[in-house]
Amino acid sequence: MIVLLITTGMLVLVANRGVIAGDSRGAQLAAICASCHRLDGRDKGIPPIVGLDQKEFVDIMAAFKSGERSSQIMHAIALSLSDGEVSALAAYLSVQPAGTKQR
Amino acid sequence: MTWTRRKFGCFAGATCVAALSARAARGQARARVVVVGGGIGGATVARYLAASAATLDVTLVEPKLRYTTCFFSNFYLAGLRSLESLTHGYETLAEQCGIKVIHDTVTTIDPIAKTVVLKGGGSLNYDRAVIAPGIAFKFGAIEGYDEAATQVLPHAWNAGPQTKLLRQQLESMEDGGVFLIAAPPDPFRCPPGPYERACLVAYYFKQFKPRAKIMILDAKDTFFEQDLFQDAWNRHYPGMIEWLPGQFTGGVKSIEVKARVIKTASETFKVSVANIIPPQMAGELAQRAGLADQSGWCPVDPMTFESRLQPGIHVVGDAISGGEMPKSAFATNSQAKVCAFAIAAELTGAEQTAPHLFNTCFTVFAPNDAVSDSINLKPVAGSIKINDIFISQVGESDELRRDVARTANGWYAAFTHDVFG
Repeated sequence: MIVLLITTGMLVLVANRGVIAGDSRGAQLAAICASCHRLDGRDKGIPPIVGLDQKEFVDIMAAFKSGERSSQIMHAIALSLSDGEVSALAAYLSVQPAGTKQR
Repeated sequence: MTWTRRKFGCFAGATCVAALSARAARGQARARVVVVGGGIGGATVARYLAASAATLDVTLVEPKLRYTTCFFSNFYLAGLRSLESLTHGYETLAEQCGIKVIHDTVTTIDPIAKTVVLKGGGSLNYDRAVIAPGIAFKFGAIEGYDEAATQVLPHAWNAGPQTKLLRQQLESMEDGGVFLIAAPPDPFRCPPGPYERACLVAYYFKQFKPRAKIMILDAKDTFFEQDLFQDAWNRHYPGMIEWLPGQFTGGVKSIEVKARVIKTASETFKVSVANIIPPQMAGELAQRAGLADQSGWCPVDPMTFESRLQPGIHVVGDAISGGEMPKSAFATNSQAKVCAFAIAAELTGAEQTAPHLFNTCFTVFAPNDAVSDSINLKPVAGSIKINDIFISQVGESDELRRDVARTANGWYAAFTHDVFG
């Protein structure tokens, strides 16, 4: 019983730290995107990047990295991000609400 | 206390509420960061600090009530944008991002006592200070061109009244007159800026003063995106723009301000309107606070943007010795985020991700013809080095150029939202 409680407690702790660390990392990486894309999705003339399916985001970034999709800016950004960073960004951006009022 | 007004909705998901309670529970005073300078660098650092670490007291000190961006101000000179559309206030930062905004001038910084002294009286204590002083001009480098001369021959290299003055002069210039741009030596704010200015003023002249000429007297022998510019000048404004490299003239030596006479070592030009962009150095406060070295710029650690000369003080933006990173608003915003996350990590124990640095410059030749250059950079051996660089090419399709022009406008809106809210 005690073992179970401790185990459960540890699991919760690990899970919480994971969420906070993940959010902070995602937020810091998303700051890169925010130089051009609004994180509330209310872009004008720039493709919105929030609320995208994670796999879709990862695929788009891979296409920018390889040059299959052409954009100087996105090519430079995609080349500098690791696969892990792209995944963290995908997770973070996918849960940002698109088109909500957020200033 | 401003923190009572702090709202956590400035950036969704970017706040660390857990860290707030941890520090409060230990009964410690909140760590204080004072950011001096409310341009792109200062405003970005303040905004990202407040958003990433809710336990910090973030104060932004800026004398002006509103900030006019130097980037895109060439659109205003061309009559394509109002100055108002390039001007941004601090209301969102103060009211929604939990930043204490003080409109005052910093007279001195004491790095030992960790105090910033305000002209209006009083002082602010800090655990970390960030100075984003922009640029200052080396008056005296060109004989006869001093601060008073800028009221006759504007530099228009800090946006606002100077830009307005230059626009008025261009508007009242006679058709057939000569507009001279004195382009500065490296390094300077916005490498494509003087040449883009020639393009967009030419765009205005072409419509309203078709016999006018533009002469660029350069201190340099080559300039950024030179092939792209010279191609654009020939296509859009044939015969209107003349560029004289430094090797032929030695650059501007002296100026008779009232007569509008500009002299090089061997030639004298009497012009109708002159835009003198002087040699530059880190902003005045950086010089006074001992943050600049003999080069006139501020050496920093590119992992944190902490000064190499004054520990505890960080410097971002055009004022730094940026290695291969150009002096631009985009670069400044990128540096400011790395700096903010480094300070948050230092003061709150938050994790900092590996620093990523980027720059993109949009350069506009005509309203539907723009190019960009994009680079990613990395801190290497204490300096900043370019990793990858992608620049537009001569001969690209009209459609692509139109696309970049559209993107540039969308970028301005998103970027200024990122900085000022």
